[in-house]
Amino acid sequence: MAHIKVVRRSMRPEEWTALRFGWLKRHIYNKTYEIKTLQIRDARQVSEMEYEFYSDDYRPLIKGDMYFTPDGTAFIRGDIVIPDALRGEEMWFALKTAAEIIVKVNGTYVGGVDPNRERILLTPYLSENTEKLHFEMQGYNRSKPDDERNPESLSVRGCRQIFEGAYLATVNHDVLDLVYDLELLSDIANSDLFSGDYRAFLHREMSRALDLIDFEDELLPGLSEAKHYVDEVIYKNDDYKGSGDVALIAHSHLDIAYYWRRIHAVQKNLRTILIQLRLMDRYPEFKYTHTQSYTYESLEKYYPEVFEELKTKIAAGQFEPVGAMFVEPDCNIPAAESLIRQCLYGQHYFREKFGKTVNNCWLPDVFGNSWILPQILKKSGVEYFVSNKMSTWNDTNRFPHNNFIWKGLDGSEVYACVPPTHFITWNMPSQIQENWEAYQDKNTGGQTMSMFGYGDGGSGVTEEMLELMKRFKKLSIMPKTEHISAAEFLEKNLKDNPNLEKWDGELYLEMHRGTFTTKANLKKWNRKLEYKLREAEIISTLRMLGGALYPQEELRACYKKLLLNQFHDILPGSHITPVYRDAIADYVWMDSQLDKIIGTGEKYFNSLNFERTALTFIENPHGDSTRCGKRGYWCIPHLPPLAHGEIKRSVGTANEWCYVGETVETPYYKVQFADDGSISSLYDKELSREWVDGDFNQLKIYEDKPGVYDAWDILPNYKNKQYSLEIAEPLHLTEKNDEVAVFETELKTGNSTWRRLIRLFRQSRGIEVENQVDWREKHRLAKVEFDCNVLTREGVCDLGAGFIKRDTHRNTSWQQARFEVCHHKWCDLSETDGGVVIINDCKYGVGFDENKISLSLLRATVRPDPTSDMGQHSFCYLILPHAADAVTAGVNKTALEYNIPLVKADVSCQNTFDGLFLQAMKLSEDGKMIVVRLSECDGRRGVMHLPKKVKLLNMLEDVEGESDTLSYTPFEILTVGIPLTDETEQ
Amino acid sequence: MEDYINTTIRPKIQGDGGEVTFQSLEEDVLTLIFQGECSKCLILDRCTAWIAQEIEKDLGKRVHVCAIRKKPFFWDT
Repeated sequence: MAHIKVVRRSMRPEEWTALRFGWLKRHIYNKTYEIKTLQIRDARQVSEMEYEFYSDDYRPLIKGDMYFTPDGTAFIRGDIVIPDALRGEEMWFALKTAAEIIVKVNGTYVGGVDPNRERILLTPYLSENTEKLHFEMQGYNRSKPDDERNPESLSVRGCRQIFEGAYLATVNHDVLDLVYDLELLSDIANSDLFSGDYRAFLHREMSRALDLIDFEDELLPGLSEAKHYVDEVIYKNDDYKGSGDVALIAHSHLDIAYYWRRIHAVQKNLRTILIQLRLMDRYPEFKYTHTQSYTYESLEKYYPEVFEELKTKIAAGQFEPVGAMFVEPDCNIPAAESLIRQCLYGQHYFREKFGKTVNNCWLPDVFGNSWILPQILKKSGVEYFVSNKMSTWNDTNRFPHNNFIWKGLDGSEVYACVPPTHFITWNMPSQIQENWEAYQDKNTGGQTMSMFGYGDGGSGVTEEMLELMKRFKKLSIMPKTEHISAAEFLEKNLKDNPNLEKWDGELYLEMHRGTFTTKANLKKWNRKLEYKLREAEIISTLRMLGGALYPQEELRACYKKLLLNQFHDILPGSHITPVYRDAIADYVWMDSQLDKIIGTGEKYFNSLNFERTALTFIENPHGDSTRCGKRGYWCIPHLPPLAHGEIKRSVGTANEWCYVGETVETPYYKVQFADDGSISSLYDKELSREWVDGDFNQLKIYEDKPGVYDAWDILPNYKNKQYSLEIAEPLHLTEKNDEVAVFETELKTGNSTWRRLIRLFRQSRGIEVENQVDWREKHRLAKVEFDCNVLTREGVCDLGAGFIKRDTHRNTSWQQARFEVCHHKWCDLSETDGGVVIINDCKYGVGFDENKISLSLLRATVRPDPTSDMGQHSFCYLILPHAADAVTAGVNKTALEYNIPLVKADVSCQNTFDGLFLQAMKLSEDGKMIVVRLSECDGRRGVMHLPKKVKLLNMLEDVEGESDTLSYTPFEILTVGIPLTDETEQ
Repeated sequence: MEDYINTTIRPKIQGDGGEVTFQSLEEDVLTLIFQGECSKCLILDRCTAWIAQEIEKDLGKRVHVCAIRKKPFFWDT
C-alpha cells in the first residue's frame, strides 16, 4: 500500500520568528559609510616577519574585487575623512571577511576582524579632534578555519575571497541589545537539552515580542516595546527551573602550527591577544586565559607595544597566563627531560616577565598524557592539570571523571580537570547545558568547567559571548553560571577538596593512536636530538669545569627549537606539508649546532653513568662493517661511567662463531629464518628455550583507513585486511666478520621496496634488524609482529623515565580500547624467568595481544598532508631475548646504550651517581650551579651517598634544601644543584 | 610548465592544506590534479582562475586550467 508522508509546507511559527530576527539584524548599523580609498598588496609570508610580494605596489581594492591568494597574506591601506554625520558619535569600523585581519588606525592597534567578528569600536582609540583616519591592515586568509563546528565559518572557506566592502558605521544599540536577547533565547528554544514546555513558551513569546515591531517602517517603531516585552515576560518568568553550576572560562586555543606554519602563528597570536585586550577595555569584568610562554615571547619580540599593554592587563588580573609550559606539547612521545624543559623555560619566562609562577598546566588539545607527567608538574610548581580530550574524544569508554586527583607513576598527585565538553565553544546556553549534563562529578567536584572562545586564529571571545553571558542570570532555566579565572576555578573547586575521586594511571586517549607513528622521520629526529642535547649539555658542563665557556644561549636556543617542534600538531604528524618541511629544517639546524657544541676529542666519552658493556657500532671509515649506510665496526666499548677512553676492538675467532646452513647457529642461538627475514625458530642455547610461537619478526602491511582523522587515528579494524609482501630477494648472507653476520632480504609491496638487514652477533644476545624502506603507499600501516613463546598478561613499556605495565588481554572494553599504545625505547613480554624485549631507535606505537608484540613502523596517510611519510626511511630495532624479567635483565640500560651513540670528547666526571640514570647535567639557568637530574627507572627505592652536600632543587631549579644523602623512591626524578663557588667564599 | 607548477604554485597550494600536481598541457589546456583541501573546495574555480592569471603573468602564456579533483575516500560521498 502506498504511503504518502504528510509534509508541512506552510511557514512554521518558529520560521516566522527566525525570518523577522533576520530582518532585525539588518538594522544593527544605523549609519554606514563605505571606505572607497582602500588599496591592497598581495603577499606570501616567508618568515615570522618577512613577506614576498606579488607586485611592487598597492592596487585599488573595491567592493566585489577578489582578494587573497593561496597561502596568502594581504596588506590593505586606506584613508578617509570622518564624515560630518559621524563626528561626535560612537564610531565603528565594519568589514565582513573570511580572513583574519588585524587593524591599525592612525598608528594604533584598534582590533581585528575575522569570520567570527565583523566590527571594531574606534572611538576610544582616536584622539579627540581626529578628522582623518589612516587604516593599515594585515590579513591572513583563513582558508581552513579550525572551528569546523561553526557552520558560518565553514561556508566561507577558500583561498580566494570576494571583498565585501569596509565601512565606518554607527551601531543602533537598541537593536543590538534585542538581537543579543533573541540570539540567546533562540539557542535555548532550538535545543533539545532544555525543557520542551519552556521551549514552547519561548517560541510563543519571542514571536509575540517581534509582533510589536513594525518591520515595514525603517525606523522600526515598537522596538522598545519588544525589548520591554522580552524583559517583562520572558526574563521575569521563573516557572521553569534549571539546575547546575558552571564556571565559564574564557580561552582561545592556539595551535602553533597545523593547517598553517608556525610563522603564521605570530600574527594569529597577536590578533587573538589584541582582540581580547580590546574586549577588556569595554568589559572590565572580562577575564581571559592564554597559554604557552612561546606565544608571549613572540608578541614581546615583534609587537612590543601590544606586549606592554598586555602586561598591564595581566597585572590587573584580567589577562591570565595559564599552562606553565613553553608550548602545548604532545605528552606521549617527548622524553621526560623534554617535558621538564617545557616547564622550566615556560615558568622562567612567566616569572621574569610577569612575576608569577603559573600553578596550572593547560593542555586542552593534547592526545593523551603520559603517566610520568604528574611528578614533572608537581616539581615544576604546578598543582593543577587541565586537559579536555579524554572526555570528549574517547571512542570506546567514557572517562569516568572531570574534576579529580591524578596520581602519577611515582605516586605524585596533582589536581586534574578534564572538562566535560570541547575547549572551543561560543558560550551558548545549549553548550553550557550540555557541559553540565555531561559533568560526572556533580556531587564531588564542585563547579564544572566550560571553556568558551574560538580557537586557532578565530581569536577567542567575541562581544556576543560576553553580552550573552550578562543575560544568563536572567534565565531560570539555565544552570547557575560564574565567569571566573582559571586559577579561581581550580582553587575554588579542586584545592583541598576531600571528595575528589582519584585516577591512578596514564591518561590514555582512546583516539589518535596513529600519532605515535605518523611522519616517522619527525619521530626519528626527535629521538636523536633529545639524546644529542643531553650529550651536548653534559660535555659542555664538564668542559666548563675545565675552564671552557658554557654555551648557554646556544644550548637554550636548540632546546627551545626542539620543544617548539614537540607541539601537539607537529611531532605527532597531524599537519600540512610545509609544517613538516619547517620541522625538518629546524632539526637539521639543531643537529649542526649541536655538532659544533659537542666538537670532538681524542678519545670516546661515555656520557652514561654506568659502564658501557653492550655491543656497539663505532663509525669508522676503515671499519669492516656497514650499518645504515656508514662504515664502522662492532665492539664492546667497556668504557667506565662518565669517562673517556680508548676503545679497543677485541679480536674474535674469525669465522668460527657463526654457522650458516638451514639453521644459523651462533654462540647464543639456533635460528631458522624464512626468506622474508621472519624467524620460524629462535632457540636459545644459553637459556635452553624456544622464543618463537607463531609469526616472529614478521613484517606485515595492513590497510589503514581510519577516516577523516587520517593522520591521527588507527582503528582496530586495520587487522581486517592485510596485503602481501613479495620477496624480491630471498634472505641471504651478505656480510660475516669477527663480530657480526648480516643477512639481507628485499621485499616489495605495492610501489614500495623494503630492505631488511638482520644482524646476528658473536658477543651479543641481541638480533638487530635494520630497515631501509622506499615507501610509496597510501593508506597502509606497516607493522612488525612477534608472537613470543611467553605466557604473560602484561606487556611492559618504557615511558622514558620508568615503565608502565599494560594488560595484553582483551577482557574488558578498557583493554580493547588500548589496542595501540605509546612506548619509548623498549617494550617487553616476560615470564618470571625470561622474556623478549624489542628495543627501537625511533618507534613509539605498539600493540599487545596476548603473546604478540606488534610494533608500528610506518603509515601512509593523506590528511592533512597528502605527501605524508612518502620517501626514504631508515630505522632499526633490536630483538633481545633475556633471562629474568625486563628490570632484572637491565633492558633499560641496554636500550640507552642502543640509542646513545658514542662521541669523542676528552672529558670525565668523578661522581657517577650510581643507581640512578643521569638524565641531564647542565648549567643552571642562573649560571650559579651545575644541575644534575637523576631518574629512578626500575621501580626501586634506595639511598645515594654523595661526597659532599648538594642543593636539593625542584625542576625549576629553586633550592628547596641541602644534603649529602639522596633518598629516592620508585620512579622518582631528582634534581640536585652543585654550586660552582663555595658559598663560604661568597 | 610542470616545473612552474611544482616550484611556484604547489608550495602556495600546500600552504593552505591543498595539493596540486601537473597532469598535462595540451595546446592551451592545462590539466591539474587537486588533492587535500582543494579536492573539496567549494570555490576552487576562483583558484584555478588565479593560477591561469599567474601563469600568464610569469610565463606569458594563456592557459585554460582544467581541474581534476581527487578526493580521499572519506570525503568521497
